[in-house]
Amino acid sequence: MVWFADISQEATPQTMFLQQLINGLTTGSAYALIALGYTMIYGILGLINFAQGEIYMCGAFVTVLLLATGQVPFLVAVAAGLIGAAILGLILERVAFRPLRGAHPLVPLISAIGASIFLQSLALLLFGPNNRPFPLTFDFAAMNLWGLPVNTLEAVILLAALGFMGLLVLFVRYTRYGKAIVACALDRDTARLMGINVDRMVSLTFVVGSALSGAGGIMMAIYYNATYPRMGFLPGLKAFSAAVLGGVGNIPGAILGGLLLGVAESLGAAYISSSYKDAIAFIILILVLLIRPQGILRGRGH
Amino acid sequence: MTAFIVHLAILAGIYIILAVSLNLIVGYAGQVSLGHAAFYGIGAYASTLVAMSWEVPYPLAALWAMLVSGLCGLALGLPTLRLKEDYLAIVTLGFGVIIDLVIRNLEITGGPDGIVGVPTPVILGLSFRNPLLYLLLVGLGVGFSLLFTYLLVNSYHGRALKAIRDHEITAQVMGINSPAYKVAIFALAAALAGLAGSLFAHYIKHINYESFGLHTSILIVCMVVLGGMGSILGSVLGAIILTVLPETLRQFQSYQDLIYGGLLVALLVWRPQGLLGKGKLSLKFLERKE
Amino acid sequence: MLTLKSLQAGYGQLMVLKGISLHVRPGEVVTLIGGNGAGKSTTLRAISGLLPVWRGQVEFNGQDLSRVPAEQIVGLGLALVPEGRRVFASLSVLANLELGAFHRRDSRQVRADLLDLQERFPILKERARQPAGTMSGGEQQILAISRAMMARPQLLMLDEPSMGLSPRNVQLVYDILRELKEQGTTLLLVEQNARAALRLADRGYVIETGRIILDGTAAELQDDPEVKRAYLGKGYREVWE
Repeated sequence: MVWFADISQEATPQTMFLQQLINGLTTGSAYALIALGYTMIYGILGLINFAQGEIYMCGAFVTVLLLATGQVPFLVAVAAGLIGAAILGLILERVAFRPLRGAHPLVPLISAIGASIFLQSLALLLFGPNNRPFPLTFDFAAMNLWGLPVNTLEAVILLAALGFMGLLVLFVRYTRYGKAIVACALDRDTARLMGINVDRMVSLTFVVGSALSGAGGIMMAIYYNATYPRMGFLPGLKAFSAAVLGGVGNIPGAILGGLLLGVAESLGAAYISSSYKDAIAFIILILVLLIRPQGILRGRGH
Repeated sequence: MTAFIVHLAILAGIYIILAVSLNLIVGYAGQVSLGHAAFYGIGAYASTLVAMSWEVPYPLAALWAMLVSGLCGLALGLPTLRLKEDYLAIVTLGFGVIIDLVIRNLEITGGPDGIVGVPTPVILGLSFRNPLLYLLLVGLGVGFSLLFTYLLVNSYHGRALKAIRDHEITAQVMGINSPAYKVAIFALAAALAGLAGSLFAHYIKHINYESFGLHTSILIVCMVVLGGMGSILGSVLGAIILTVLPETLRQFQSYQDLIYGGLLVALLVWRPQGLLGKGKLSLKFLERKE
Repeated sequence: MLTLKSLQAGYGQLMVLKGISLHVRPGEVVTLIGGNGAGKSTTLRAISGLLPVWRGQVEFNGQDLSRVPAEQIVGLGLALVPEGRRVFASLSVLANLELGAFHRRDSRQVRADLLDLQERFPILKERARQPAGTMSGGEQQILAISRAMMARPQLLMLDEPSMGLSPRNVQLVYDILRELKEQGTTLLLVEQNARAALRLADRGYVIETGRIILDGTAAELQDDPEVKRAYLGKGYREVWE
């Protein structure tokens, strides 16, 4: 799973626990990034973008493919991955969502499923089913950060993820368009009265949400050293659970839900059962929907 | 050649049952189940296990499959059917994933390798090993499913269901227990899927998790959408088309999923009522709300 | 400034406005009064582009608005304070005000206007960072009006500004509207509360089941026996006195 130098530390139960915790937070950040995409889109459209996982995958692929050529510097490749994911999100919105405005909610849902399958198959056809390792090797050292057995890879990913999430919060709170997006999510008609073009804000939401998901994909491509067409399927679904857990439509909720889910999965896999690891997300989803459907931080019902 | 046609016909028949059963959920409960193949799988394994371990005669095994699937449908539907469409869709999908995992990991289901050597049905001394005979058996299954659906639609309960679908609040005011009906439909649909599973298992004789995963669930959804959500005949048509076409266009096999995905999007954008939508179980909800 | 000619509009299959004609001149305060369901809000929504115009004309400063999408209306100089205030509850008071000026490009002037409004209505400064949803009804109405004023409209439309407010708050709101009037802002006021509206307005129209049945100066309407009976009758006295 992690492919850098092993932690030269005694594997006491505490360190193992902490390792699982850190691992959970790391994968949880990826879930959180995708969940943010879901939650923003749900907030403004009231729809679940089923293909969010494929956008995550797209970000990873663009970066990996560019890096594999050996001609592209790392940061440029990452930026390209983000842009690629954003573009895909935009296309998706135009093709699979916008024409279905006003129809029964089942319709865009199934449409998104169709888009998801289409994209997965397309990637399969174009790139083959095999795992691609990340084209760059990083020299990550094991560290001991205040007693936490974290290594620099995890630290970097966590920081980067937190950075993106922080940027999003700043965007939504302090920029003109960020506030406009929230306004559209709260009260579409009144937003229009302010002169806000809701269609454009929807597109912007897709762009931002997709870039975040793409970032998550790139991070996991590095972390697991694996990029493959189906890589977005399960994380996409699990991220939805994370969004629900935190409260759909609620941005801090998506972050919280993602991190919690990641940790729950990691600890569950280590201490309860690893073969049913993937079921944890869905069990949590069903429990949340039954017991407290608005999620932890109280999402907005639509 | 005829053997191939018979084989296709059997598969088509099984998928007809699956599509018609999913259509019940879509057309009457107004929900989509993205994990329908899970009930298909549950039925298959239930029938297999009971036939192999206890040498139960086939009809009872099939009934048992329906019962187990139906109960699972009840168990899933009871707490979740009140959720909104998109939430329920993901819950059913998650359910499908969980069942997939369970099938893959449990010992009695043979783990990832599945179960080999599912017994051939023997009814009243007649062995159904001959594919033509099996086709007859499947035909019986299809006939039963269609008859059941037809009777349901035209019964008092069918009218109650229509009332719920079209004007839920009014129906409730009139004393129709809407949640109960929706759950019942869900359970019945699951039971039918279980029947299909049983028929499948005893035909193909070797079952594993691959046949009952998300891929299959989506395929069934495609069939229903293609044929027209809410139209029984449409589901039959959709099932036949999507069983026969991939086989006749073998060279496009690798593009199969691509086509399914693209088909779904294209259908919903350009012709959401599918081929025969606005038929018997016509759904007004496909109309745009403005 | 604003002219409606035989405006027809409705919801779905139902025609609510059956041919409304009215006009507003610059600097005037015009009120549209009527009972529940008469079509008052519908009229404003049709002008604002939130509701499609079926037939007839909506002319503003010589421009036909009937095909203009809602988000472009405010840029043309028309702002609406919607029914029920509709502040963005989870956004801060400040954010609400800033959104009111969304379409404006002159950021320095926007800042100045913001400070100006905060001067006039100290509550907006006090609660600047608080979510708008925590404000009381009266405060929200002040916010909603200020938010619309942030757009620097030529014509300000208000949809039942007194609705759901205590008598004291209604007085407060109308005092503000009077201030606006004195500063020369053109107002189109839709109200169920005919008494307060007619006290403020220069002219008025009475709408009933989608048609204008009466129009005249505010004084004329106040003296009109029909109006008195239907809209200024005993029932209202309890609320107002």
